[in-house]
Amino acid sequence: MKTIMVCLKRVVDYNVRIRVKPDGSGVVTDGVKMSINPFDEIALEEALRIKERGEAEDVVVVSIGPADIQQQLRTGLAMGADRAVLIECNEDISSLTAAKVLLKCAEKEAPDLIVLGKQAIDDDCNQTGQMLATLWGRPQATFASKLELSGNVAKVTREVDAGLEVIEVDLPAVITTDLRLNEPRYVKLPDIMKAKKKQLESVAIADFGVELSSKVTAGNWETPASRAKGIMVNDVDALLAALKEKDLV
Amino acid sequence: MVPLPVALPNPSRTHYKRLSVVLTKTIPDAVIAELKSIVGEGGWLDSSADLTAYLEEWRGLFTGCTPLLLRPASTAEVAAILSCCNANNVAVVPQGGNTGLAGGAIPGLNDQNEVLLSLERMRDIRAIDTANFTIIVEAGCVLERLQQAAADADCLFPLSMASEGSCQIGGNVSTNAGGTAVLRYGNTRDLVLGLEVVLPDGRVLDELKGVRKDNTGYDLKQLFIGAEGSLGVITAVTCKLFPKPASVATALIALDSISAVVDFFAAARTALGDEILAFETFPHIAMDMVQQHIDSCHSPFDDEYSWYVLLDLSSQRSQSMVDTGLLAFLEAQLDLGLVTDGVVAQSGAQRDAFWRIRHAISEAQKLAGASIKHDISVPVSQIPLLIEKASAVAESIAPGVRPVPFGHVGDGNIHFNLSQPEAMSAKDFLALWGVMNQRIHSLAVSLGGSFSAEHGIGLLKRDELARLADPVGLALMRSVKLAFDPNGIMNPNKLL
Repeated sequence: MKTIMVCLKRVVDYNVRIRVKPDGSGVVTDGVKMSINPFDEIALEEALRIKERGEAEDVVVVSIGPADIQQQLRTGLAMGADRAVLIECNEDISSLTAAKVLLKCAEKEAPDLIVLGKQAIDDDCNQTGQMLATLWGRPQATFASKLELSGNVAKVTREVDAGLEVIEVDLPAVITTDLRLNEPRYVKLPDIMKAKKKQLESVAIADFGVELSSKVTAGNWETPASRAKGIMVNDVDALLAALKEKDLV
Repeated sequence: MVPLPVALPNPSRTHYKRLSVVLTKTIPDAVIAELKSIVGEGGWLDSSADLTAYLEEWRGLFTGCTPLLLRPASTAEVAAILSCCNANNVAVVPQGGNTGLAGGAIPGLNDQNEVLLSLERMRDIRAIDTANFTIIVEAGCVLERLQQAAADADCLFPLSMASEGSCQIGGNVSTNAGGTAVLRYGNTRDLVLGLEVVLPDGRVLDELKGVRKDNTGYDLKQLFIGAEGSLGVITAVTCKLFPKPASVATALIALDSISAVVDFFAAARTALGDEILAFETFPHIAMDMVQQHIDSCHSPFDDEYSWYVLLDLSSQRSQSMVDTGLLAFLEAQLDLGLVTDGVVAQSGAQRDAFWRIRHAISEAQKLAGASIKHDISVPVSQIPLLIEKASAVAESIAPGVRPVPFGHVGDGNIHFNLSQPEAMSAKDFLALWGVMNQRIHSLAVSLGGSFSAEHGIGLLKRDELARLADPVGLALMRSVKLAFDPNGIMNPNKLL
């Protein structure tokens, strides 16, 4: 296999407490710690392991977003990716738009495998991988928790509601990664220095000729209602009385 | 060298004992009944099953006993309790979250009956003033909850330590706890603006006012900070708050020697200044023990290195400025050869993972066998010499001993912990505790340091305080104790 394309989305770090903007137009991202979507990080780790086993030659990381997603792409390069493509875009785009843009990128890179997280932890859409595979006209294997390659076939263990499902897909294909696939590596200081010399190509999203407007618009954002404070009861009788009063038993 | 005897004669101690009133060995039923009625139902416990968690220190060194645990719900109840105890010469041991390490909060370790006073029901946050950057909390408020209350108000309460999920602010103040952010924000003492204290006779000292300038005579509240409950019971605290940092950055660095660690610290201070929140170090053996004994803790490195530094920054500057600054500094140090390898946390999850390794050391060491511990501090410049000499002393006393020195380099505070030699039984090794402590404490003091940097004196180091403290200072401490607590009911036979 020659090239693996990995899609990285920059998201608000999962340790950050999300806050909604006072005007309800979105969540606060100014000055907030941003990271690679953890599922995408797992996708990159898997691609790097495939390359390190000698089963691929080239790992390219692709991300769509404002110029400062460069930082997350540099992290990807420091983890071990060979090249990075930054598709500069300063507005929020839908999963479908992302899939269309990534398709253009795939047409140019002609990868044998596209790996990305099963979903991003900010919008939890779980759509981009599936849409990309459909648009690309290639097989998809979603929620991968194990991935084995032999020749032109990928054997993928999927995490589904009923347990584990093992399927085989012909390459090229799109694989979306689940949590248990692997544990991503840490970024070493010497590798961060080396990553500075790696190629990072920047392209304007307009160059792809994809319509950016979405059929879906967000009306309003609000914080979930906070839980009512609990009360302490002294014994089972008091508990039952309290439950009855609230008409719960 | 001949080891010193375990217990040295201490003439001043006898003199001091003569001054205290003889405390009640058996508490009369009537007094017990009066104490129970002060707190009412739900405010006391006396069955042994309920008391277990309050009577054992987590390290297992001290297990106490008490006829009665009181859990007052207000300052007035604490005042009534102390007034009653004082009138009847009943000893009182105050307790916070029972996460101490020196036996200071365990009752019944002496020959008299001692009432245990837990502040756990006094946990309200009384007021928060974000313009003044202060918060008033009751003593039983768990540290983590206090941190959270500050965060909810977009502020920071910087006191942080491994036990923050259980320890209480009253205990933190009473022991002047240190923790992991001392380098930047100071000890608990530096974070306290005011206190409310119930004195042994039941009077209430109200010094809660949250002002940063107050030159009106003796700063009495300072005496209760670090007094380990020997002068009164702290019931509420006015704490300083700080602006919440806009960004954090964390790196785990590998170095070849402890002197490289100290040089690296100097370089970091010069380059990064006050952005350094914590600068913690531990040797490879600690990393090894953590990996062996603690699930989900792995070294981020492929290779093994002699020493590791956990460098944590926080700043009001933007995330990208802090990241860039840290990286530029680390690259320069790598080029200079001072740093051998390093990993920079790319996400909050990785930052947590680094801190988990650091916080897991004590637990891992416990699982790796018996250990003898020292909580010592020296000037930062003396750390390499301390570790070298202390390791030699330990080896001479217990051949094959495994030193696991780790801690807060920035504060000069090293937890010089020793794991038992693999060929020696835990019992034989622990029998050397006293000898080992005396020799290593003396060494720390001779290098211009302290034999008890952050864990306090309690019962564990009481004899060491008598042996190593400046005699003039010790005499003054005893005068203070007598002035505040003439009947000696407060946490007797601890500290002094």
